[in-house]
Amino acid sequence: MRWWVAVSWIERAITEGLKKVDEIEIFTVEGQSITAELRGKSISVAKEESSSGICIRTIDKGRIGASSTNNPIEWERCLQAAISAGKLVSPQEWSGLPGQQNFPSSKPCSDPQVQLGPAFLKDIIYGLIEGSKQYNADITSGGAEASRTRISLENSNGFQASVDYTDNSCSLETIHESSTGNEFDMSWEAKLDPFQTGKTAAFYAEKSWKGSDINTGTYDIVLSPMALGELIESTLIPALSGKNVHAGRSLLKDKLNEEIAVNSLKVYDLPSTTEGLGSVLWDTEGTPTKRIDFIKNGALNAFAYDIRTASRYGKVSTGSAVRSGASGSPGIGHHNLLVEGRNTEVLEEPAVFIKSVVGAHTANPMSGDFSVELSNAFLAENGELTTPVRKAMLAGNVFEMLKVIQGVSKERKVIGDMILPSVRIHDQTVIGV
Amino acid sequence: MKEPEYYEIRHIKGETTQIEVDNGRLESGGTSFFDVAVIRVLGDSGWGVVSVDTFDPDNKKKLNEYLAQGMALASITGEKVKIEPTEAFLLPVPSLKENPTGISLEEKADLLMGIERSAKIDSIVSTRANYIEKHEEVLFFDSSGKEFTYNTTRCGFNVLAVAGKNGLIQMASEREHTIEGFNLRHKAETGLLSAELAVSLLDAKPAKALTVNAVLDPELAGVFAHEAVGHAGEGDLVLEGSSVLKGRIGEDIGPDFLTISDDPTLPLFGFEPVDAEGSTVVKTDIVRNGKINAFLHNRETLCRIGDGQLGHARAMAGSVPIVRMSNTFIENGDAKREELFSECREGVYLKGSRGGQVDPGRGVFQFNAEYGYLIENGECTRMIRDVSLSGEILSTLHSILLCANDRQMNEGYCGKGGQSVPVSDGAPHILLSNAVVGGSVVD
Repeated sequence: MRWWVAVSWIERAITEGLKKVDEIEIFTVEGQSITAELRGKSISVAKEESSSGICIRTIDKGRIGASSTNNPIEWERCLQAAISAGKLVSPQEWSGLPGQQNFPSSKPCSDPQVQLGPAFLKDIIYGLIEGSKQYNADITSGGAEASRTRISLENSNGFQASVDYTDNSCSLETIHESSTGNEFDMSWEAKLDPFQTGKTAAFYAEKSWKGSDINTGTYDIVLSPMALGELIESTLIPALSGKNVHAGRSLLKDKLNEEIAVNSLKVYDLPSTTEGLGSVLWDTEGTPTKRIDFIKNGALNAFAYDIRTASRYGKVSTGSAVRSGASGSPGIGHHNLLVEGRNTEVLEEPAVFIKSVVGAHTANPMSGDFSVELSNAFLAENGELTTPVRKAMLAGNVFEMLKVIQGVSKERKVIGDMILPSVRIHDQTVIGV
Repeated sequence: MKEPEYYEIRHIKGETTQIEVDNGRLESGGTSFFDVAVIRVLGDSGWGVVSVDTFDPDNKKKLNEYLAQGMALASITGEKVKIEPTEAFLLPVPSLKENPTGISLEEKADLLMGIERSAKIDSIVSTRANYIEKHEEVLFFDSSGKEFTYNTTRCGFNVLAVAGKNGLIQMASEREHTIEGFNLRHKAETGLLSAELAVSLLDAKPAKALTVNAVLDPELAGVFAHEAVGHAGEGDLVLEGSSVLKGRIGEDIGPDFLTISDDPTLPLFGFEPVDAEGSTVVKTDIVRNGKINAFLHNRETLCRIGDGQLGHARAMAGSVPIVRMSNTFIENGDAKREELFSECREGVYLKGSRGGQVDPGRGVFQFNAEYGYLIENGECTRMIRDVSLSGEILSTLHSILLCANDRQMNEGYCGKGGQSVPVSDGAPHILLSNAVVGGSVVD
């Protein structure tokens, strides 16, 4: 235990801050992690990291200021910077920070079996290597990581809570001739399957070798969970943010209650599930979290809000404030985003299967238009990947894709803060030769 | 404790100022602080790394604990590592034309609001502008006795305009980032530029998917050099077998007028006064006169595979040094810009960049233009949008038919291994034959 044990500085910061502003909030993160990086079959780098950070937010007559530091000894400098920032910005309507609350006991996303020691990682690395031997591919890079994090939030209205997380993950990059493959696994529990991860990475490298050209045309496609996540991350997800909606930066503005997808499609945030990595009872402003049905039976049903955006536009926070560490103010996001639809055997009928894409971040975030290169693509039918595709692009529009989803797989994969199935989509443009 | 074969400490502290203007409102503005250090220790069989915050370089007892911790970590590694000897020569950091630290937050915010305000024209439904200013104080010392300190200041802004009409929305953005000092003055026209482009894109046609001759503007051709060649020329990827350029030094990869270089010594956004391992920075020609010439290296990769030069290790604050590009560019050719269009005759002219990505092991890359025009009979005609290019590293460079003599550099950030570092890319206008253009329309 380190500096947060001596929480007296937090009480002092709140007391000092309240002499100058209406409300004050202190968000702290402290974490430790250990990482082992592979080059070929050997561990080339082993790393331990300890990090801490505080973000102080002040609100005075609707003016919100923030500052952060990773040196808590400098809290007074940080507080002063937050107050100065607040004096600069435009005032807004502000409904207030949450007060004291009692949260029900919940399943913690912390597993004592996740060990921050070399032996724990060596076992995972061994599994990756053994798994990769199931196919003819060489390891290029990869690794394993385990971490523990404590997040604490305290404000001048009496909110005070903290939560502990564990996290462990592994990944492997492989190559066979000039055909590459990769796979990863992540969980808060010590239940990774490194053998299967290594095996899958090697499978795609070997089986993608000597691919055939594909004619340019329209095809039914199957996006793996990874490819789906890559495409929606910079298009659909920001369009669900209340801030982008009200700022005119979302194509979904004015489409609430409209059919925007096939009627079987559900897209929702489920903070309570422990299946993903983002299980949480309160968001990073202290608002209780709840399920948010963004797309329900194909209709646009809700947007996500934090307190700042909700206050400004007469809405209520949906408990969607998220932060990336302690280095800044909260933004709007989700905790465990799930995509569900009509369950089907997605590879039963002929399709182009796409494991991942190259260049998803170059999609047009406003319109949803994209054209990306395919990675580990195959012609598929009868549930099998039959012929690898040598090289092709996929072009389309993410929002239009939602309207022609034919079905989703029962199996799904945790990808950070998303839990996604494979998705079968009708008539998409594949650019080959 | 067994003594490490080598250790180094890279301690960075500093502050970041950010301002955001969103639809005319001063949304946020303020300063945050950071203080991080990476202690890297070379044991018998690999690297042990300890990353900490609030580091005190004068606390020798604590430093020794970190070194012992690093050695314990290194004991689980299994790869004998040798590193190339190096000399450190510290380049002077370019002086700031105007130091932003002397300018009040209020004045910076006023200037940024002016840039954002200029984007408010008819059909614009949303505007946003961001300013970022980062000061870093770097301290490096290692077990060989090298020690140096330097300070850098980088700043810049982005402005985004979103146009809307009949349920269609299009966006355009402009950005300027620099190492030369405060750059918000007299820039109001950049907001207008982004707005006019966003409005124009409302009437642009979606691109067709086809194989066609393409003229790339300097910004997009710079991203092309970065994605198609630069990453595959990074020594760490070559060493681990993740680059199609492995074992190909001296092979033809493009026309003999083609030279592609990385130069961290240039006083541009990717400048480094010395690399993150304490090596003197140098210009490296990855491709020279159409042949694969050299790889970018750190001390370990040069020692292991050769064929290149030191001086290309970079690290984000708190992260381990890895091989990175800095200022990457295609050298000028001798063609005039007009010749590229007349030679192209029928094709596309692609401008601006929304970024790109490469799979260097497979040798396939993709990058996206902000917009473009059809070229018909050597003239630019109709505007097109949402168009990307993909290609294969080993064949695509051969399709460069002409390089103009109008090189320009553009600034941005490059991500690799979870680290984002400032870079610049550039090129003259280039003409590609038979480029694979990705668009959503199929004939």
